[in-house]
Amino acid sequence: MAEKLKEQENIPTTKVQRAAKFISTGAKVGGNYVKHYAKKMVNPSMNREELHQNNANDIYNSLSQLKGSALKVAQMMSMDKNLMPRAYQDKFTMAQYSAPPLSYPLVVKTFQKYFGKTPEQLFDTFTRSAVNAASIGQVHRATLGDKDFAVKIQYPGVSDSVSSDLKLVKPFALRLLNMNEKELDHYMEEVEERLLEETDYVLEVQRSREISQACSHIANLNFPTYYDEWSSERIITMDWVEGKHLKEWLETNPDQGSRNKIGQALWDFYHHQVHELKQVHADPHPGNFIIQENYQLGVIDFGCVKVIPEDFYAGYFALIKKNLLLNAKELDQVFYDLEFVTDRDSPEEQAYFKGVFTEMISLLGKPFHAAKFDFSDDEFFDQIFELGDRVSNDKMFKKSNQARGSRHGLYVNRTYFGLYNLLNQLRAEVVTTKPDWLD
Amino acid sequence: MDTATTKKTLKKDYRKLILENFKTHILEHGTPPASVFKFAKDLKMQEADFYTYFTSFDAIKSAIWVQLFEDTLFEIGNQEAFNTYSAREKFLGFLFTWIEVLKRNRSYLLCLYESKSRSITTLPKEAAEFKSRFKNFAQEIILEGKENTEIAERPYITDKYDEAMWVQLWFVFRFWLEDNSPRFEKTDAAIEKSVNLAFDLMGKSALDSFLDFAKFMYQSK
Repeated sequence: MAEKLKEQENIPTTKVQRAAKFISTGAKVGGNYVKHYAKKMVNPSMNREELHQNNANDIYNSLSQLKGSALKVAQMMSMDKNLMPRAYQDKFTMAQYSAPPLSYPLVVKTFQKYFGKTPEQLFDTFTRSAVNAASIGQVHRATLGDKDFAVKIQYPGVSDSVSSDLKLVKPFALRLLNMNEKELDHYMEEVEERLLEETDYVLEVQRSREISQACSHIANLNFPTYYDEWSSERIITMDWVEGKHLKEWLETNPDQGSRNKIGQALWDFYHHQVHELKQVHADPHPGNFIIQENYQLGVIDFGCVKVIPEDFYAGYFALIKKNLLLNAKELDQVFYDLEFVTDRDSPEEQAYFKGVFTEMISLLGKPFHAAKFDFSDDEFFDQIFELGDRVSNDKMFKKSNQARGSRHGLYVNRTYFGLYNLLNQLRAEVVTTKPDWLD
Repeated sequence: MDTATTKKTLKKDYRKLILENFKTHILEHGTPPASVFKFAKDLKMQEADFYTYFTSFDAIKSAIWVQLFEDTLFEIGNQEAFNTYSAREKFLGFLFTWIEVLKRNRSYLLCLYESKSRSITTLPKEAAEFKSRFKNFAQEIILEGKENTEIAERPYITDKYDEAMWVQLWFVFRFWLEDNSPRFEKTDAAIEKSVNLAFDLMGKSALDSFLDFAKFMYQSK
């Protein structure tokens, strides 16, 4: 762990550093090829499997040092293709984007730019340094009268760096995922769209408000109020949500009943978003939730919202029907629609991938199959990881040179993995409601 | 007494009038006026009278630079928080405010300096007065930085820090002239990053330990 933390301390931040990191990885990958052919001269029977293994390791190491959007891309793509290897589990709990902290004069300048006033002129108190790092900026705490506010400020130029980061990662994603360029672009667009949306604070305020209003009836959920007069493209002001982060709360040893309550609130929140609103808070990592007194779950940060298209929704959730009560023809159609299987696959490949995806889906749909599901069941998670490991090491997957799964699946899968993971950490038993049409 | 004050305001007004008309001329024509004679004539002044205020167009440009600097200091003075800043924050605050002040005169500055802004070394000679005033200001920051140990004392090198800060200021200026990002966000990032780098370099670092060690090894040979 100590070693891990040390790595976190020095994240290459500038573009030059990032590029340098990629270049050194490139050199390593090149080295692997040299090694491979050298070995092959001695032992002609050697296959390329080992080479791929070495490459994947080097590239993954490089990406995990980079963090930022580079890692995000790697994470999400691998998730779809390989399910979720165990190593990614930890990454979920870490802040995903690391921006250097803003100096106070820059905070003042940003305020003056958008409001014509300094933070001191607007608020009674305003913390000089950030109290929290947000995904692409930082949070300051302010007071006015007897009210407490959280003020989120974005680092200048982040939205520009999104696109250039993605361009940097592309050649490596191509290698790592064995995709051709066209197929990769298809995912990249989706990722770029979401990341750019995250930098749009005006949109974030609008969506936060929409979703919090639409979910206001759900028990034990709490949303902060957003203040337009102190929000802009780079600044968001909302109520300060007092409470504990998930980890802190769990350290207080809450009883099973309260853990179930929080877990249920979380489940209901996602159920309503996915099945009623068809747009979902797609970043369920622990930092975005605050547990308050009386088992209220505070939801902060609506930076990443995925709108779920209707036809994708129908196909995706049809698959979680118990025992896949679909006839073979219907199932085939769904697999085609979700782009798990394409016409370019050989019959052998088609049969194989259908088998794997059916297994995956019945496993991931398991919580839906009973009225209640106990997420403290580690065996369930081990099964998922085991399947993930097996799939990612499977020859058929490595050899198949195309992206599988609709682009919309990236964020929907991420949401469900995140949600399951949170519920597992909570060790909560939850009434797993499903929409009526699935019964 | 009365006449003295009116005379004084009159004098001041002329100075201001010349400065403003010079700027307007640059903005409208893109170049300085053809001659002092022509310029004075347009202002309905005697050429000789003009020389009581400025001796050349360069002197006017110089006065404008100084004016921008003074405006910046004035605005900084209005920010209550400024006095509580560390040296690093003071320099950041100064540059952010200075760029804000420059923004109000961007067209004027672009007309005069856009093409010349390419090289880092050639400073327009009319900026000399501004430079000396800025260096006084920078020295205050450096002194403060040394007092609160943000800046490490290094023989000989420390004396050049004010010069380094001037080069940095000029870098920011050139960056801003060529900045096309909305709201000049990139300039903000450039200021933030370059000042952080500069202060990290000026602060006590591994370099000092290395030099100390190298000196020790050299001397004990």
